[in-house]
Amino acid sequence: MTTTYERTSEFLEGSRRARRQIITPEGVPLTVELADYGERVVALVLDLFIWLVATLVIFIPLVYAIGVSGGSLIAISIALFIGFLIRNLYFVFFELAWRGATPGKRLVGLRVIDRTGGPLLPSAVIARNLTREVEMFIPIGVLLTWSKAANGGADWENLAVALWMMFFAALPFINRDRMRGGDLIAGTVVISMPKRVLSSDLVERALQFAFTEQQLRAYGAFELQVLEELLRRPASAGSAQVLGEVCGKICRKIGWTTPLQPSEVLPFLREFYTAERAFLEREQLYGKVRADKFTPPGAR
Amino acid sequence: MTMEAAAADRASPAPGPAGRPEIVLKSSEFRKGREAGWRELDELVARVERRGVRALTLDELQRLPILYRAALSSLSVARTIALDRNLLLYLEGLALRAFLAVYGPRANPIEGLRTFFGRELPAAVRSARWHILIAALCLLVGTVAGFMLSVQDEAWISTLVPSSLADGRGPSSTRADLLSKEIFAPWPGAVESFGLFANVLFNHNTLVGILAFGLGLGVGIPTVLLSVYQGLPLGAFIALHYNRDLTVDFLGWLSIHGTTELGALILFAAGGLVIAEKMLFPGRYSRIENLALHGRLAAQMAAGAVLMLFVAAILEGGFRQLVQSTPLRFAIGFGVGALWLVYFCYGGRKAQRTIDDIRRDASNSASTRVSEAKAR
Repeated sequence: MTTTYERTSEFLEGSRRARRQIITPEGVPLTVELADYGERVVALVLDLFIWLVATLVIFIPLVYAIGVSGGSLIAISIALFIGFLIRNLYFVFFELAWRGATPGKRLVGLRVIDRTGGPLLPSAVIARNLTREVEMFIPIGVLLTWSKAANGGADWENLAVALWMMFFAALPFINRDRMRGGDLIAGTVVISMPKRVLSSDLVERALQFAFTEQQLRAYGAFELQVLEELLRRPASAGSAQVLGEVCGKICRKIGWTTPLQPSEVLPFLREFYTAERAFLEREQLYGKVRADKFTPPGAR
Repeated sequence: MTMEAAAADRASPAPGPAGRPEIVLKSSEFRKGREAGWRELDELVARVERRGVRALTLDELQRLPILYRAALSSLSVARTIALDRNLLLYLEGLALRAFLAVYGPRANPIEGLRTFFGRELPAAVRSARWHILIAALCLLVGTVAGFMLSVQDEAWISTLVPSSLADGRGPSSTRADLLSKEIFAPWPGAVESFGLFANVLFNHNTLVGILAFGLGLGVGIPTVLLSVYQGLPLGAFIALHYNRDLTVDFLGWLSIHGTTELGALILFAAGGLVIAEKMLFPGRYSRIENLALHGRLAAQMAAGAVLMLFVAAILEGGFRQLVQSTPLRFAIGFGVGALWLVYFCYGGRKAQRTIDDIRRDASNSASTRVSEAKAR
């Protein structure tokens, strides 16, 4: 159904995004793209940076105000406490107020959604962010304070914490929806929302060149969409040459013998695109979908 | 009107100049008729994404769902009649963004937090009463075992109590030591109290509590073990004071924050047990689905437990050494404990949402289950 243009995207962009479907309450399946690991790490690092700055901004004046009379231990305690508060409020607040996106996620273009396509509930947001504490911050805190407690103690605790972190770090890699522990518990999934613009239609109304049905049968939807992408690319030094080569290949394939001037290449390709699309869309309406040029004509 | 224009266009194609063949594409006419609506929706959704639903006027708010449904219908049609990749990708993206804008989280953060503490948390705790009972029993078993071992032979105390927790207390402590340095130690002052308060929040108990919850993912055995293990030092301490005839004073010293803190630990462990149960016995669902369905309940309990630890930390850091009388300590401790009990038992009863409701909702929306998109 929606697979031809996904295949074209894969061909053109060279990478394949993991896709899932959610079904809206109206019954229309929508395709969502799962966020990449890299995108999620970048978003997290951005969020952590903002969190760190916010914590310091509050922490430093506070320490000055009360003085460090009690020693560094109290200062550390206060820092931990403020960090804890801001961290949790930050993630929960923004994921609720900005519809599933913290500032970091928004910059990268990620959203948290409910896996089933339902609304994102406040309890789900709280759940997935509280678990972040277990997954990430508490083990990190233990490891950071470890050097102080290490005098003579057994290394078992350290080992357990390291295993714990590794288990949770590995979680997104061992389930197919790339959910971390919090996502599992809250039933959420992180998706990427690419920005897309609607360009003008490439269709020409009046045709200068006439193509026979036999000639239009040479290609399928995949080739059509690759041609569309080529025609949509902004003109550059190399593009004229690429278009010329493509034009030559098409002419050979469909047996177009009339020689073309270099200035005619672009109009020819646009008109061929129009005629080919008109033909394939009409065939598709009659139930004869042709995925690519290797599918025999008329086959389903 | 745009539709009519498109229809008229199709009925009488303008004759091409100079006898050139004229082509009218259905998909292209379809796009001409609907493009204005998509652009309008795009603009509305972009504003909602930037500044929230409040950025829309009343009229625009009414237009949003209409335009959204129109875009969904456009998408369905485009998938069958159009081969324009740019158009299809744009419509997919627009429909998804509009879907999230229309069905996104409705509550504002304050409203969400109020719902959570007013209704969801007590309901979650009530629905897990058996897990709470098991967790409490585990803690009790640990306490009794710690007491029985230590009351006979105080050497056990140094084994059962980690040195960071013991803080100098042990078999060598005398009655006078315990009275002056622990039970009726002077109040250290506001700054120290706050430091203590913040420290307490990140102490051993919190760590173990959250671990007990998270380790529910390990089918519950670590959770049970941790609960028992938490009871051991408690029992050992009670034995230490019992042998020095300080039981009542110690229990008073403990109960002022202990009712809240132990309650929180039990809640953490119960949350872990809920997760474990849902993983072990997924019932009609797959394990992942069942976890998503009930994991929220467990996480709500853990959030409640964090709240309780906050309160416990205030009581321990701020009030414990300020209140120097054992009866008053008992009164505060059990009073606060009773408040928790009332809150969890009766909070949000009217609008209670039980597991059965959630299950019913889930089976109603079974059609909206995620299915892996066909690869190609």
